[in-house]
Amino acid sequence: MRQHIADDVIRFDGVTKIYQAGTPAALADVTLTVAAGEVAAVMGPSGSGKSTLLNLVAGLDKPTSGTVTVAGLRIDTLGESALARFRARHVGIIFQFFNLLDDLTVADNVLLPAQLAGASRRAARARAAELLDRLGIADHRDHYPARLSGGQRQRVAIARALVNSPELLLADEPTGALDTATGQEIGRLLRELNAAGQTLVLVTHDPALAQRYAARTLRLVDGHLVPANAAVLT
Amino acid sequence: MSWGGSVRTASGGPFRHKVQAFVLGMVLLVSTASATLGLALLAASNGPFDHAFDAQRGAHVAVTVNPARATPAELAATSHAAGVTAAAGPFTEATVQTQFGGQPFGQLTLAGRSAPGGPVDDLVLNSGHWPDGPGQVVLDDNFNGGPGGGGPGLGSVLAVTGVAGKPSLTVVGFANSITNTADGWVAPAEMTALRAPGTAPALQMLYRFASAGSDAQIRADVAAIAKVLPAGSVAGADSWLSAQTQADGNGAIMEPFVVAFALIGLAMAVLIVGNVVSGAVIAGYHRIGVLKSIGLTPAQVVVVYLSRIGWPALAGCVLGVVAGNVLAVPVLHQSAGAYGVGSQQVPLWASVAAPLGMLALTVLAALGPAIRAGRLSAVEAIAAGRAPRTGRGYAVHRLAATLRLPRPVGLGLAAPFARPARTLVTLAAVAFGATAVIFAIGLHSSLARAQAGQRLSATVPVQVQQQAPGAGPNQLPTAAQFAAMTAALRAQPGTAHDVSVYEAQVKVAGATENVNAYAFGGDSSWTGYSLISGSWPQATGEVAVNTAFLNATGLAVGGTATVNTGTAQVTARITGEVFQPSGEPRIYGSAQTLPGVATSQNFWQVDVGLRPGTSPAAYMSGLNSALGGSSPFLAVGPDGGQFYTIASELIGLLSLMVAIAAGLGVLNTVLMTTRDRVHDLGVFKSLGMRPGQVLTMVVCWVVVPAVLAGAIAAPVAVALNTATVHAMAGTAHTGVPASFTQVFGPLRLAVLALAALVIAVAGALLPASWAARARPAVALRAE
Repeated sequence: MRQHIADDVIRFDGVTKIYQAGTPAALADVTLTVAAGEVAAVMGPSGSGKSTLLNLVAGLDKPTSGTVTVAGLRIDTLGESALARFRARHVGIIFQFFNLLDDLTVADNVLLPAQLAGASRRAARARAAELLDRLGIADHRDHYPARLSGGQRQRVAIARALVNSPELLLADEPTGALDTATGQEIGRLLRELNAAGQTLVLVTHDPALAQRYAARTLRLVDGHLVPANAAVLT
Repeated sequence: MSWGGSVRTASGGPFRHKVQAFVLGMVLLVSTASATLGLALLAASNGPFDHAFDAQRGAHVAVTVNPARATPAELAATSHAAGVTAAAGPFTEATVQTQFGGQPFGQLTLAGRSAPGGPVDDLVLNSGHWPDGPGQVVLDDNFNGGPGGGGPGLGSVLAVTGVAGKPSLTVVGFANSITNTADGWVAPAEMTALRAPGTAPALQMLYRFASAGSDAQIRADVAAIAKVLPAGSVAGADSWLSAQTQADGNGAIMEPFVVAFALIGLAMAVLIVGNVVSGAVIAGYHRIGVLKSIGLTPAQVVVVYLSRIGWPALAGCVLGVVAGNVLAVPVLHQSAGAYGVGSQQVPLWASVAAPLGMLALTVLAALGPAIRAGRLSAVEAIAAGRAPRTGRGYAVHRLAATLRLPRPVGLGLAAPFARPARTLVTLAAVAFGATAVIFAIGLHSSLARAQAGQRLSATVPVQVQQQAPGAGPNQLPTAAQFAAMTAALRAQPGTAHDVSVYEAQVKVAGATENVNAYAFGGDSSWTGYSLISGSWPQATGEVAVNTAFLNATGLAVGGTATVNTGTAQVTARITGEVFQPSGEPRIYGSAQTLPGVATSQNFWQVDVGLRPGTSPAAYMSGLNSALGGSSPFLAVGPDGGQFYTIASELIGLLSLMVAIAAGLGVLNTVLMTTRDRVHDLGVFKSLGMRPGQVLTMVVCWVVVPAVLAGAIAAPVAVALNTATVHAMAGTAHTGVPASFTQVFGPLRLAVLALAALVIAVAGALLPASWAARARPAVALRAE
């Protein structure tokens, strides 16, 4: 059973991210919250700051100013080791292009975050087996990612993201590299996870995906959070 | 757009790929420096004396002239004598008795020279300055004993005895004369005060001749000088040939290991440069694929590659040759000391050949991948620029996953199998470095054993020698002085053994030259001579001999030698072959076995063995006090260790350089792998891999190649050490006891093999820490 440290899983207070001095902010003074058990979609055109926002939530990058609190932890002040522990324990990430490690089998890909977090061998294997079974890819556990279809790879990526039972699942264009039918299949899977209590932040270009699966849409334009119903070219 | 403009745009210019250009430049810098040094060492080992003799305009003959018989004008006229090509002098010459630290320092031949240079015998001032005032002396570098060497150093003061006022000379420098024309040099005005009363004045003239390659030519040259001077003017003449023989002997001993290190350094430089350049080219395939898709021709692709690596390679080579020359100064100073020549320089051809060779190698290494890139289609080039081929190393990853290892360790250990070619290069670089380190340590041990065996320093730490005139005829010690010395010696606490040793020239049937005979006046079984084969003589009628003796007589251990000592002819059975490197044949036996040798005229020294725990220095000090200032005898430590000291220092320096180059080779391959796998590193980090785990994983990339390299390097180094020691011994006219090459016990060798791991981990740490520090978002974007 996951332990929720606070009601809001994500809290941004006046977060700004500038990659290079003199260039426009990738995120400008963003304040937002995402509650536990919520599915929030982040939408916006290319270059609007969606990936930057995701990176800051995942602790993959640090803000230029403002505070970022995730799963009750103020992560913008953490060092790299503490951020790595935070990612291993509290966050699962699903990438558009899966980012599976080609030289590891499906089972080893799924096991890896648990092993890095120091989970016991027996517990990690049991959890991985459960996830592979639940996601319908148990038969492929000894295969290498290169032999799998796009949908199967994304299922492996989801299993890997969930293996440490994180409070928060981040999905960056999870259906962007998939055909329509497979995309819908993955979408249904994410909805099932949310139904089971998983907090989910979904970054997408696809309004239909956001509309179908997210309870709330956060819209970014040029690094600024705008009202969800504002007219934006995507 | 023009052809050249396209290429410039496509390559991005020399400063576009800063990190890659920096690494390439650094590797070429180190490799060129190492190649320059390697070539310089090879050149230095080739006829070192002859090169130094030419460079220092060595004197073919040093003539001692009686100034009472020849005027300055007559001496000046000798420069036009038949065959003379250059002349220097006259320099006032005097032989003086000296003391250092209150103890006799021996007899020194001093010459008065106003400057070290000149048309003949251009002295090399290795340290300090030339005498510029009274009471100053520059000593021959062979006397340099400071700091910590026990002998005089800069600032030391020598007292000249037997001269009115007992003048003091402060050592202000150390210099080398290639033909040892003097033991020291002072300002010309100083010489008057240094001449002992009643001794004849002498002048030194130095000459170079058109022909002076043999003793006969030297005799003819000296006769030509004598002919233009008044009769009786020439009091003596020293030929350069004896210095040449001695120096060539030293040089020949050094050559095998100097050549071994030079070849290791050159081979590694070639390997590392080839790897870096081809890696840099392959890393650019993706970009080239993109550029080809927008119209770059195959020829332009080749030029793009070559121009991309050309500038950093050129910069690295130029800086490398400068660094090589700077680095060569201390190394060549050491090798010059070991060769017994004044100084050695990097030859001009080495400074040209090293950078040109490395540039040529760079172009060759780049040409293959560049031509391949030119021929590939755009799509193929883009694909070829991606990470390792699918399938490589998967089985090893699977195996590593089943092992109960921390996951970063398993991932790191399996990683090299994805890039077998690169792994092989890493393995080879580390193996070269580890071989050099193990070889150096082994050679150091072998030389230490040879030094101890030759000097008997472990068993005979003290020797009592005659260092001042005795009270008997011909300045020999009297029987009473011998008896007093023996009594003082045996009364001294700490004396365990003592035996008098006598030396004389004897004839041995079968040997065309005289043989040096050493007769022991008592029990010598404890003296600890190292035996190559057989045993030390136990009874009368038995002798031990050195290798040169066996070679000269054609006899073997177990054979019988017929020895004529001048007073008796005896036969003796050869029981053992001792390690005493020398071209001269030697025979060792008891005074009874070699009758007539053990006389006071032939007294050489008393070998003294000490009780365990006795300090040789304290013992010598106590014994010398007991002997008193009036005794002609002095207790001294074993000498003859300078060659070993210099050789050991040189070996240490060379192995350190090779190890550093190997570490840089590893750094480069790990850096290339890190760049290849930067996206994977981002993924690992996004999954929660901590910086410490990243560091561990990246360091583990080199562990498997390093362990294999260690396993290869250990037996190779043992074989190399054995071969080198035998080659060195061969040039020193001696065999070697097996114990000199058996310096690696299994445990020691296993520990030494870890040098490979140390080199590899040291090389990997820097890129590993870069990888550990990289922000995950940056690493993921780097795709």
